[in-house]
Amino acid sequence: MPLNFVLFLGALLFCAGLYTVITKKNTIMVLVGVELMLNAANVNLVAFSRFDAVGIQGQVFALFVITVAAAEAAIGLALVVKVYQHFQTANIDEINELKG
Amino acid sequence: MIDLHEILTFNSSPFMYLVLALMAVPLFSFFTTGLFGKKAPLWASFLLLLNTGLAVYLLLTNIHAELQNFRGQWFQLGNISITLNIMVDELMLIMSVIVNFISLLVHVFSMEYMKHDKRLSLYYRYLGLFTFSMMGIVLFYDLLLMFVFWELVGLSSFLLIGFWFEKKSASLAANKAFIMNRIGDAGFITGLMILFTQFQSFDLEAIKTLMLLSEIEDGNWIVHFMNNGEQVFNSIDGRWLSAAGIALFCGAVGKSAQFPLQIWLPDAMEGPTPVSALIHAATMVAAGVFMLARIFVILDAQALEVVAIVGAVTAFMAAIAALSQFDIKKVLAYSTISQLGYMVLAMGIGAYSAGLFHLITHAFFKAGLFLSAGIIIHQLHALEDKDVSFDPQDMRVMGGLRKHMPKTFFAFLFCALALAGLPGFSGFLSKDAILLNLSAWTDHKGGGFYIPEVLAFATVIFTAFYTFRMIFLVFFGEFRLPSLIQDAKLKALPKDGNAKLMVPALLLGALSLSLWFGFTLEAEGSWLYHLIETPVFLVPVSYAATSLIDIPERYFEALHTIIPAVSIGFAFIGFVLAYLAYKPGAKLEKAFVNRREPVGPLGQISFYHWYQDSLYTKIILPFILLLSRCLAWFDAQIIDRFLDGLAKLAVVLGHVTKWFDKYFVDGLVNLTATTSGKVGQLTRSIQSGKVQTFVVMSFVFLLLILLLLMF
Repeated sequence: MPLNFVLFLGALLFCAGLYTVITKKNTIMVLVGVELMLNAANVNLVAFSRFDAVGIQGQVFALFVITVAAAEAAIGLALVVKVYQHFQTANIDEINELKG
Repeated sequence: MIDLHEILTFNSSPFMYLVLALMAVPLFSFFTTGLFGKKAPLWASFLLLLNTGLAVYLLLTNIHAELQNFRGQWFQLGNISITLNIMVDELMLIMSVIVNFISLLVHVFSMEYMKHDKRLSLYYRYLGLFTFSMMGIVLFYDLLLMFVFWELVGLSSFLLIGFWFEKKSASLAANKAFIMNRIGDAGFITGLMILFTQFQSFDLEAIKTLMLLSEIEDGNWIVHFMNNGEQVFNSIDGRWLSAAGIALFCGAVGKSAQFPLQIWLPDAMEGPTPVSALIHAATMVAAGVFMLARIFVILDAQALEVVAIVGAVTAFMAAIAALSQFDIKKVLAYSTISQLGYMVLAMGIGAYSAGLFHLITHAFFKAGLFLSAGIIIHQLHALEDKDVSFDPQDMRVMGGLRKHMPKTFFAFLFCALALAGLPGFSGFLSKDAILLNLSAWTDHKGGGFYIPEVLAFATVIFTAFYTFRMIFLVFFGEFRLPSLIQDAKLKALPKDGNAKLMVPALLLGALSLSLWFGFTLEAEGSWLYHLIETPVFLVPVSYAATSLIDIPERYFEALHTIIPAVSIGFAFIGFVLAYLAYKPGAKLEKAFVNRREPVGPLGQISFYHWYQDSLYTKIILPFILLLSRCLAWFDAQIIDRFLDGLAKLAVVLGHVTKWFDKYFVDGLVNLTATTSGKVGQLTRSIQSGKVQTFVVMSFVFLLLILLLLMF
């Protein structure tokens, strides 16, 4: 399987994640989009791992990413819960305290 | 060569504070009397009593002591130091006793006289201020300080003449007195300037010392001395020497009511009568004569001639004016002017001792006359009520008061006899001394200088005439008031006043006797006359007058018997004339009551005081008004126009700067503000607060950076 296909898949996943992050109103959906983008990066890492002459550095790194993503998701969800408790909403458009 | 600083040595001693207390006590009275309300008269009189005691003590302890003077620095201007100098000499000691003593009597007298006045304490404060300023003139041996107190005396005189300022005539009289004095003071200042230019000091001792050293060379008045190590060489035209004397004399003309400025004194009678006694008879008007005595030795022959002639003319004019007055205070006022004329005349002929002797005797008998007249006025005023109204100063309502007010009669009579110059009374001694010296002076000078003598002797007759006229009209005959008021009935007849009124008047009446001044019929036998020795003139020889001391004794020998005889004879003529004209039941006495003003041109001239007032209002006043109108026009048309132009220019300039400010300066500031506002708006809009926008933006910029790195 040529490398191009895999890279296209990664780009597609990344675009889908980005789209989700940008457009979704719900905070949880935004987190889901972030996960998609991380996985797009993982696909690329694994794909490039084939050209590693020494070992499987790309695959190991992907594992690290998955671990960190899990932690990130846990913290993110906790934050979402707190934000919801505070603002009584999970709609990201309404949480705009930083407006200048 | 003498150094000015050697003359102006500073010295002081504890004794100085005792002398200064003479001034400080009346000043203290001025400041504190207001606090005592109803008790003010008592407090002020108590302080004055203390001061009189002090003055008498100083007189008794120092009269034969050496001259003492105390000097200190007032301030320094470059090389010129202005000093304060107090001289303790006979003149100062005697004057301080007289001023304080008469002031004390007036304080006591006023307790009763001013009892019902609503500004009683203010009145006493003014008296304190007056006594303080008068003591300043007497104490300071320094022309500048003398001038300062001279003005203060003028101020207190103004305040006291205008004390009843609700009366229009009183406030006008106060103004008149002040303005007339100002005219004289302009002369005083001129004299000060001339002397200061020449001698660089106001200190009389320095002036006298340097005057003695100055010389006349080729018609120039030269003085040569050292000042602070620098040589000073002043040379001005010799006529300035005479000018200085005459200019200083102008001050005395104003203050001592001499021709041509004497017209303020009759009007000054608008003040309370005790004030007239103190200020306008005994002390303040004598300040001019006192000042002449202080500067006597620096007057040159010409200035002294002017002084003598002015004095003689004044004495004569005022004596004429006193002949026909209705108002008792007016008679006394004109008589005061006339007697002051005698004193000034005496100074002018060089009869220093005689002039000052007359000042002292006159102070007592004239104050006594005014206080007695004050009692009459006060007691008559008490008779006025809503039905009966008359002028209590008018002699037409009096008459026959001898029976009703015997004590007042005696006080008045004694003083009046002294005024008329009858032997046995003080006025005789002093007037005789003046006449004697005048005769010797005339004989010595010759030429046209017999005129002052003629005037002075004529004045003797007139003085006796108006004095006895006054006595006959006031004290003899029938009491005219009841017949004048017709229907209305008097509630009582006038009677002597209480002790507060009588004691001062009787005391002054007693002091009019000559025995206090020595058992003698000639001034030379009097102890007081010898106490005041005539000093020697200090002006350069060619300008100096012949001193009476230098006149050979033979001139006097014949005069010693003839002059007293002539003056007694003249006084007697005056008495006889007055008796014939104004004895009870005489023709003039009867006509007098119904007359509005004297008939005939001579009577009119007398009554209107030679029309001097009208002359001033008709001729001099229009001229001055014209001048002031010219100046007003100049002020309005030239100076104001110029200032208006400047103001307009300033306004135009203001508009220009305002426009520049508004459009340039403000514009720049606004531009800056708007720009930063707009930039702020722009950057603010990016901060939408939407997280997703931030994400998009980060992504876009990341891409842009990547593109940048790739290409």
